[in-house]
Amino acid sequence: MSLPIETHDLGKHYGDVRAVEHLSLRVAQGEIYAFLGLNGAGKTTTIRMLLGMIAPTSGYATVLNTRVRPGRREPWQGVGYLVETPRAYPELSVRENLEVARRLHPGTPPAAVGQMIERLGLAAYADRPAGNLSLGNAQRLGLAKALLHSPRLLLLDEPANGLDPAGIVEIRELLLALTREQGLTVFMSSHILAEVARLARRVGIIHHGRLLQELDIEALERNRRRRLLVRARDLPAAQAALAAAGHLAERLPDGSLALTSAAALDAPEEISRLLVAAGAPPTQLVVDEEELEQYFLRLVGAQPAPQAEVHYA
Amino acid sequence: MPELSAMIWIEQRKALRSRMPLGTGIAALVLPLAIGFLIFVARNPRLSQQLGLISAKANLGGYGSTDWPAYLSLLGQLMAAGGFFLFVFTISWVFGREFVDGTVKDMLAVPVGRASILLAKFIVAGLWSGAQALVILAVALVMGALIGLPNGSTAVIVHGSAVLLLAGALSILTAAPFALFASVGRGYLLPLGLVGLTALLTNLVSLAGWGEYFPWAVPGLYAQGKLALAPISYAILLVTGLAGMAATWWWWKVADQNR
Repeated sequence: MSLPIETHDLGKHYGDVRAVEHLSLRVAQGEIYAFLGLNGAGKTTTIRMLLGMIAPTSGYATVLNTRVRPGRREPWQGVGYLVETPRAYPELSVRENLEVARRLHPGTPPAAVGQMIERLGLAAYADRPAGNLSLGNAQRLGLAKALLHSPRLLLLDEPANGLDPAGIVEIRELLLALTREQGLTVFMSSHILAEVARLARRVGIIHHGRLLQELDIEALERNRRRRLLVRARDLPAAQAALAAAGHLAERLPDGSLALTSAAALDAPEEISRLLVAAGAPPTQLVVDEEELEQYFLRLVGAQPAPQAEVHYA
Repeated sequence: MPELSAMIWIEQRKALRSRMPLGTGIAALVLPLAIGFLIFVARNPRLSQQLGLISAKANLGGYGSTDWPAYLSLLGQLMAAGGFFLFVFTISWVFGREFVDGTVKDMLAVPVGRASILLAKFIVAGLWSGAQALVILAVALVMGALIGLPNGSTAVIVHGSAVLLLAGALSILTAAPFALFASVGRGYLLPLGLVGLTALLTNLVSLAGWGEYFPWAVPGLYAQGKLALAPISYAILLVTGLAGMAATWWWWKVADQNR
């Protein structure tokens, strides 16, 4: 089966800096694949290698069954892309910028410009110089340029950047509709896990240039850590009662007990009954699901940023 | 060919929509106006003093001969020197702006040959520079007529104009390598820095008597008309221009594009 994107042991080194290493990816037809990583993880370098803008120092990539080589015409008629911050010719209008993009993709009908302006909600700005656009509208223009020639594959680098919440929902719906109706394949990088979870079907996690994990979005959900948090007025008694019943409970700094066994997670009512019988009834019982961000940071071994302290005078 | 014409359309649209034609147009106006002013003053020192245009101590003896042949010869040298700065500025903008504006990435993974994209840039930069040369010539001719220079037979003016335009064409060709400098430097700074160095080297090499073998000195030597240049001088200049274009294409083909 042909795959829109395949990389084979792809790598890019800058002297001693290993931006990307041993990257082997497979992106299937019609799927939305999210490439997750912190800033500097190697996401943009990978996308640029996929687009032939950067020559790999090892391995190779194929895009739409064509081995990627810098300076070639193929396979770019079938590929749309948006890399990093969207840029446009500031003195040209939105319409003229799209006209430039149209002529860079021979065979694209002139009517596509107007259609894309409507589809991306840029009609009110069509004749405005691109240099005067807000970041959100500049992002829309970037997406319009990427979609103008009806590509089969879309490579997007942080597509939600600069968009307001309504714009994020709109673009998400657009991408989902395009994959559903036209079989478009989307490869997108992001560091916003919540957005990825709503959009992508498969996720690849990259850290320090290496692919740590590749999994379906359902597996990502399953792998998130769950625990049962218990609070009681007499915490030592509650902990002892749980231990006597074979439940290992970890005492957390915030004064609650955490249970991670499947027995406790599947039947929290049994834990409640047990504590009541032991004379240490729970004051709070809650199943806590790890946030996606926490899961991601745990996976890459990074610490979450400390919360800012607020001092009141 | 349709591909190249589409790329030329893109480049001319980008150029015409910018403020650069106005800026370079004004610069092209100022150069002959300045020369015309000096010639006017040299021809009318008393009138100029009365009008307060120059000081009574001004020495304009250098402009002893103020007729059409001398005027056009002076303008030819101006075209080779001042025009060169203008042409380098133009080609640096055409190539360097893609990096400064971050738009280069939008023309790298497209189903259009990179050679077509670059050739269109060279063509538009060349035509734009040619238009500047024509503005310089047109203003110069009007100024000469207004000042009322003597010895202005049709043959003298046609020959002088042809020399002036050819000096401009040679100068435009020597600006081609600066497209490479704009690409490698990813902006305007490197080419605009190197143009000063090139002017310095041109003077030094000319002083040493090797100007006819230094491509950037050839247009000036041609415009002076004192030295009969050998074909090798023109060949060196032509090879320099073509090598600059080829090297630019090669760099765009092989260099990593990180911006």
